[in-house]
Amino acid sequence: MMKNNLLGNIRRTACVLMGFLVILIAYISYVQVIEQDFLKGHPLNRRNIEAASSIQRGQILDRNGDKLATNLPNKDEKGRFKREYPLGRMTTHIVGYDSLQYGKSGIESSYNGYLSGMSNLSRSFGPFTRLWQENAGNDVVLTIDSSLQATAYQALGNHRGAVVVIDPRTGAILSMVSKPSFDPAELASQWQSISSAADAPLLNRATQGLYPPGSIIKVMVAEAALSKRITSPNSSFDCSGTLPIGRDYTLSEDKQTAHGHLSLKEALAVSCNITFGRLSLELGRNNMEDVFEKYGFQKPLTTDLQESACQLPKFNSLSDGDLAQLGIGQTSLLVTPLRMAVLAEVFANHGVIMKPFLVQRVVTPDGTVIEQNQPQQWLSPANPGLANLVAEMMVEAVANGTGGAAQIRGIKVAGKTGTAENPHGASHAWFIGFAPADNPQIAVAVIIENGGSGGGVAAPVARKIFTQALH
Amino acid sequence: MDAGKKEKVLLILSGLIIGSGVLTVSLAQGSIDPIVCGIVAGLWSVFFLVHVFLRFASHDGDPILLPLASVLTGMGLTVLLRLSPDLFFLQALWLVVGLTGFVVTVFLFQKPGRFADYKYILGGVGLVLLLSAILFGVEIGGHRSWLILGPVRFQPSEFAKLFIILFLAAYLSERREVLAFATRRYGPLLLPRLRFIAPLMAVWALTMLMLVVQRDLGSALLYFGITVIMTYMASGRFTYIAFGAFLFLFGSVLCYYLYSHVQVRVDIWLDPWKDPTGRAYQIVQSLFALGSGGILGSGLTYGFPKTIPEVHTDFIFAAIGEELGFIGSAAVMIIYLLFVYRAFRIALKAEQPFSALVAAGLAVFLALQVFLIVGGVTKFFPLTGITLPFISYGGSSLVANFVLLGMLYAISEVKPKP
Repeated sequence: MMKNNLLGNIRRTACVLMGFLVILIAYISYVQVIEQDFLKGHPLNRRNIEAASSIQRGQILDRNGDKLATNLPNKDEKGRFKREYPLGRMTTHIVGYDSLQYGKSGIESSYNGYLSGMSNLSRSFGPFTRLWQENAGNDVVLTIDSSLQATAYQALGNHRGAVVVIDPRTGAILSMVSKPSFDPAELASQWQSISSAADAPLLNRATQGLYPPGSIIKVMVAEAALSKRITSPNSSFDCSGTLPIGRDYTLSEDKQTAHGHLSLKEALAVSCNITFGRLSLELGRNNMEDVFEKYGFQKPLTTDLQESACQLPKFNSLSDGDLAQLGIGQTSLLVTPLRMAVLAEVFANHGVIMKPFLVQRVVTPDGTVIEQNQPQQWLSPANPGLANLVAEMMVEAVANGTGGAAQIRGIKVAGKTGTAENPHGASHAWFIGFAPADNPQIAVAVIIENGGSGGGVAAPVARKIFTQALH
Repeated sequence: MDAGKKEKVLLILSGLIIGSGVLTVSLAQGSIDPIVCGIVAGLWSVFFLVHVFLRFASHDGDPILLPLASVLTGMGLTVLLRLSPDLFFLQALWLVVGLTGFVVTVFLFQKPGRFADYKYILGGVGLVLLLSAILFGVEIGGHRSWLILGPVRFQPSEFAKLFIILFLAAYLSERREVLAFATRRYGPLLLPRLRFIAPLMAVWALTMLMLVVQRDLGSALLYFGITVIMTYMASGRFTYIAFGAFLFLFGSVLCYYLYSHVQVRVDIWLDPWKDPTGRAYQIVQSLFALGSGGILGSGLTYGFPKTIPEVHTDFIFAAIGEELGFIGSAAVMIIYLLFVYRAFRIALKAEQPFSALVAAGLAVFLALQVFLIVGGVTKFFPLTGITLPFISYGGSSLVANFVLLGMLYAISEVKPKP
């Protein structure tokens, strides 16, 4: 009997099996406690979407309280709130869309945590949050001015392109338009045509479109040449229409027009390629790299928006010809329209860039402000004296130069046009500027894809915006 | 406190727990449903009736068993009410049937020893039940374990376990000594003689049949496990477990290479993230539910357990883990642990080897079943489709488990003679 003690065997079996169950409890604690963040946040876990759709999503408002995104009064058949966008295709690229099938974009995406209320701290207390939880998300108030947005949208007409309007004193983005656009309410029904259209309506050209800047970059080159003492306000240049560089390259003016004898101010006003090619060559590769660095081209601007990074050339391997091209905004350099509005800001705001922002504040349903964006100084790439000097040159460019189409009676406008050559067809038409020049309230950047001449096509668009904003 | 009073207090406690759970669910769904509240009050009245009746008839079994079963069943009812109220009403009906079965079993089992005399009949019935499911099983809800007899649908394997355990206990308690000492040396191996392990081999063949024909890895493991472990408990020879494990492993490896469905199960278990929207959908959804529940859970009705297919039967544990959190899932596991502990305790206090083996067998079966299904839905173990005792929706499962409870209760009240 020594070897066969029934009770002993049962006791041993009991210990082993209960031990298994204890190990299993320990393992469950691993899944539910240690791994919970991974499992909760997994993109295939539909709970976040489901939970968000059962509460009333916050509204997106413009600076005057006009609704840009709101909820329809009736829920759909599955009990979800349906989104409505009162300005439709005008604000598509700012506000974005919110679709179960196709995801989110714009503010609907970047502020989803606030809009859905899911980022509220109280969510992490499990069932206890039911005691005090609001059944609505937070409202997001933008810096956008919806009437200016409408003006900019209409001013672009049927062109492909983008407009960015910034208050240079604060960095607040007042308007941002990208065309072609689409109605976010039709996203689900038109997805096939929207997503596969050749002119890419899903792309927010204002922040994600990458274009050669062309001649608008000359304002920066002028400031750099003055600050590095390559030239002075009183120096003069000669333009014979062509500039041979090295053995096999010649930089030339459009239609090889010779501008003759001219000052820096006149050179900027008529957008003289020869002068600025020469200045870039004299500045050299290192100085040019410094300038782009100083103006923040490689620093991300804002997390409110999905922005594409600008593409800069490899400075130390540029040939002389490419270096001269860089001075007139060509070569492999690619920038976004938002960056060019920021470039206009420098000269509108005495050499200081205020950090661009799109969201003013986030407000809970009971009116408590839980996030507030204050105007914030970002970079100061130019000293005030030189910035104001270049600003004067930009006034001349509108008054007596290529930007004449942006002129408004009674208001002094500063600006610079660009006509950027590109491998996709006709030149892109650019205009950057600000007004009123002696007390700037708005700065704009306009691009019209393959629109032709900046002075002829882009400057009139800017003019309409200035008129509406400063009426 | 005497046993009867203990049982009463514990039943009141479980009634309060379930009452608040059901109230929470119906409040969160808008309003208090008087029918649902009436049903829950009625069910607990039946629990009390059973309690009063048995104590009045001077039965003094383990006072923890009935309250533990009532908490588990009540949690199941609460979650079912939240998942699909139709099933709540049906399950409530089955609970009444189960409690009746419990009382009848307590009476029938007054002299457990009597059953040992009919062991071959019992074994035969168990075998027929299992074979009928294997041969004539109809697939319902992903399991080919249903038998349809006219208007009645049931899962014979839920009842077969009771017969098989009774048969094994009787057979093994008679042959304890022979199994323990009749061994023969095969080279370095000390193995029992073939004629003594013939029943073992038969069960092995049966379980392999389950695996292949029914694709039922869970039941196969359960029945094979119970046979091997009960043989070990009767004989005290670890060789049986080693030999059994070897046989099962051998069979499983063979099945792995021969049958794609076994391969799929194992591959999913090893890495569900390789195909999370396809073959591993169910287990991945279960893990999402458990993880999203976290420590405190989402609160009843605030989770999304319906994303898991078959959540009301095999995956009900994931629903509990999501809405009640780790606190809830750990509570369920601890109740099972207490249950298994009490069952083994009853076995250790039993007066005859036969009833000791029956109680221990029931404890082992319960422990294995909980381990396999909870381990399965938490990815601790390859997923096997079996029910979570007392909690999962299902008449056969609930009634069979209350009969099991009755057997334990009856064995626990047989006192050794002075």
